[in-house]
Amino acid sequence: MSETAVLSIDRLNKHFGGIVAVKDLSFEVQAGEILGLMGPNGAGKTTLLNMIAGTYSPSSGRVNFCGRDITGLPAHKLCHLGIARTYQIPQPFTSLSARQNILVATKYGGKKAAGMEHDKIFDLVNLSEQKDMLARDLATVSLKRLELARALASNPTLLLLDEVAAGSTDAELPRILGIIEEIRKMGKTVVLVEHVMKVMVEAVDRIIVIDKGEKIAEGTPGEVMKDEKVIAAYFG
Amino acid sequence: MEDFLIELAPPLIRGILLGGLYVVIALGLSLVFGVMKLINVAHGDLVILGSYFAYAAMGWLGIDPFLSLVVGVPLFFAFGFFVQKFIINRTFRISLDAALIACFGISVVVQSLCQVIWTPFSRSLTTPYQLRSFAVGELTISVRYLLDFIGGLAVMIALREFLRRTYLGKAISAASQNEPVAERMGINPNRVYSFAFAIAMACAAVAGVLQGLTFYFSPVSGPPFLIISFGVIIIGGLGSMAGTFIGGMIFGLTQTLGAHLSGGSMMVQMLAPYLLVFVVLSVRPQGIFGR
Amino acid sequence: MKIPRLTTLASLAVLVVLALFPVIGIPLSWLNYLFTFFICLALANMWNLLAGYTGLICLCPHAFVGLAGYTLAIGSWVGVPFQAGLIAGAAVAALFALLISFPVFRMRGIYFAIGTLILPEALKAWFNYWRPVGNVYQGMGAGYSVTGVEGVTLGDTFWLGLAIAAASIFLVHIILRARLGLGLTAIRDNENTAASAGVNVFRLKLYSFLIAAFIMGIAGAAYYIYSPRINPVGGFNISWLLLPLMATVIGGEGLEEGPIIGAAIVTFLRFLLADYGAWSLFIQGIILLVVVVVMPQGIAGLLRQVGAYRFPLRLFQAVEGRIHENVK
Repeated sequence: MSETAVLSIDRLNKHFGGIVAVKDLSFEVQAGEILGLMGPNGAGKTTLLNMIAGTYSPSSGRVNFCGRDITGLPAHKLCHLGIARTYQIPQPFTSLSARQNILVATKYGGKKAAGMEHDKIFDLVNLSEQKDMLARDLATVSLKRLELARALASNPTLLLLDEVAAGSTDAELPRILGIIEEIRKMGKTVVLVEHVMKVMVEAVDRIIVIDKGEKIAEGTPGEVMKDEKVIAAYFG
Repeated sequence: MEDFLIELAPPLIRGILLGGLYVVIALGLSLVFGVMKLINVAHGDLVILGSYFAYAAMGWLGIDPFLSLVVGVPLFFAFGFFVQKFIINRTFRISLDAALIACFGISVVVQSLCQVIWTPFSRSLTTPYQLRSFAVGELTISVRYLLDFIGGLAVMIALREFLRRTYLGKAISAASQNEPVAERMGINPNRVYSFAFAIAMACAAVAGVLQGLTFYFSPVSGPPFLIISFGVIIIGGLGSMAGTFIGGMIFGLTQTLGAHLSGGSMMVQMLAPYLLVFVVLSVRPQGIFGR
Repeated sequence: MKIPRLTTLASLAVLVVLALFPVIGIPLSWLNYLFTFFICLALANMWNLLAGYTGLICLCPHAFVGLAGYTLAIGSWVGVPFQAGLIAGAAVAALFALLISFPVFRMRGIYFAIGTLILPEALKAWFNYWRPVGNVYQGMGAGYSVTGVEGVTLGDTFWLGLAIAAASIFLVHIILRARLGLGLTAIRDNENTAASAGVNVFRLKLYSFLIAAFIMGIAGAAYYIYSPRINPVGGFNISWLLLPLMATVIGGEGLEEGPIIGAAIVTFLRFLLADYGAWSLFIQGIILLVVVVVMPQGIAGLLRQVGAYRFPLRLFQAVEGRIHENVK
């Protein structure tokens, strides 16, 4: 394990009953890096995020965060340590306003939570005009941004983003790329699960491709796209 | 040691036979739970309503409780269909919690209605054969417990054949395993729910007769049956008839063996099934079958 | 709309007027009904805290009430004064909540509901065959009478009930405006998101559960000072669950004023149908069903929807403005 690794995954396994969701997965993410996770549907990407964020505990293997073993810690502790995540299908607090949604993360997100002012976060994710609306009244696109806002509000070191661009139109993509760029400038480390190729190619430093729970390729976006195994997994 | 085993035989037999009653009660609960993921907390009270219906039929017409089912089953079926259509489906659209509270309301209404009509005193379905028993070798077997077992087996087989062979039955099975499939088959989920509830009520009518022949009952006797039958479905598993059957036996045995081993303690007989359900729930919170 | 300060003053005035009731010669039957209202209100407020704000459909208030009542009664047999018994009863209820929290919080949603429903039934079975003190005429199915409360007047219990009800309202009011309230609402809306936003779901649920058990316990013990005899069927009676559940749902679950409106309706129904026993419960059940089907937000929700609070609030604001001018 190198000195600068923010996240280091070591031979991680997860099975549900007889079904193997993640198999012997190992990789590292360096500080300030944006890592893309790719793979066909059901490849185990979300399961992996769930294990890093503490929603599931792994069947075996270890997860290290900033040099500390965090395997199997509960989700709220991981949030306090500096890991935040968004959900692929937005999971807001429906009866609270957008502002209160974020307030939960600042009030409970740990000691260093009050990093960014709420107004700045709302500006960044372009939700300023809707911040007093109830989450249940927001459109899906706005809810996706609310996910991002809540994740940022706990001032994390590591952000796990699960398909933030999915479902957005081509016109909205530059905005999302801009947000990711801003997050990079803040010095945060990001693990990004994404299907939208444009985001992968433009925003990400390095890509890991997983299929059926196993790592099949790793490298820069350019390298990975030419990999035969990747092409086979997607089109074969 | 030998004496101990010989003494163990009667409660063993009684437990297994009694299990049949719990199987009938649990089947109704399980059917609704399967399609809606809703525990109908009024189920125990509806079983007791079934007992009272048979009691009333006996009183008015002087007929055998089993004969009363000729009217009772269709009546309960229709009642269940409309309760589901007009109350539970509407609340289910709001949330599962709202539907749960609606079931609670039904429980209150049924309990108080029984109290208004039949007073809070204990009743039983007194028939000439109810208290009889016969000997098989050295064992004596009570007719009422045997009826529980036969009834349990009969309802289970009838329900299984219905779920396997009829279109509606297949729709209900599909809905309890994976709802999208059912919808793709072109089945309106609300209709499936209504029929599932109606069949559950028909089971409750049968269970009511068996229950009334086995135990004394009063308007507040329902909740323990709810808890036990819930225990049966989490131990036996959803959608598995054999599992439900075994679950029923386990609860029958827990009660009779618990009482026997503790020297006839009523406390143990009452407490043992509750503790069993609670422990299973805490160890496997989603139930045995859950993920 | 900003809530005028006068609202607080008005509530205080109501409290004072209510507190004066026993000394200004109000009919005793009124005091009796008001006492039941206070107990119902305290239970409903706590049930609302659990179901309405924490998302825990808790079906075991009768466990808390029965345990507290039994603690008070058994305590009085071994020489514990009822004042201490009252607190001890609440403490035992809270302790029980603490003990069961580990298993029951592993259950979610409907499993939690059924899991909690088992407990009072089990306790009832236990107390039915248990005799810790007394001779063959006490304990087990016969239960215990609470001794040493002969000197307690209806006025005293009335004040006790009033204090508990007022405390329950105040407590919920404070919790909802504090960090805890935000966390509880987050848990109710989405447990997983709450956890990933840093909320310690188990601990917050436990807080809410302990507070509710304590207040429900103290309300139950107060009831058994008022009506000093407890047996398993009465103490662990499901009506201790129905009362707060119906009051909360009819009044409006998850709304602060819901339990107050609901408790008033439920008590008034009891008063109206006092001579009809089981019919009263039947009608309450029907009302519950109608409310759940027709207005899921309860009566308070309906009032909010039609803007019924706008007029009194405006009135208060106007009066407040007038007062300010006069002061100047």
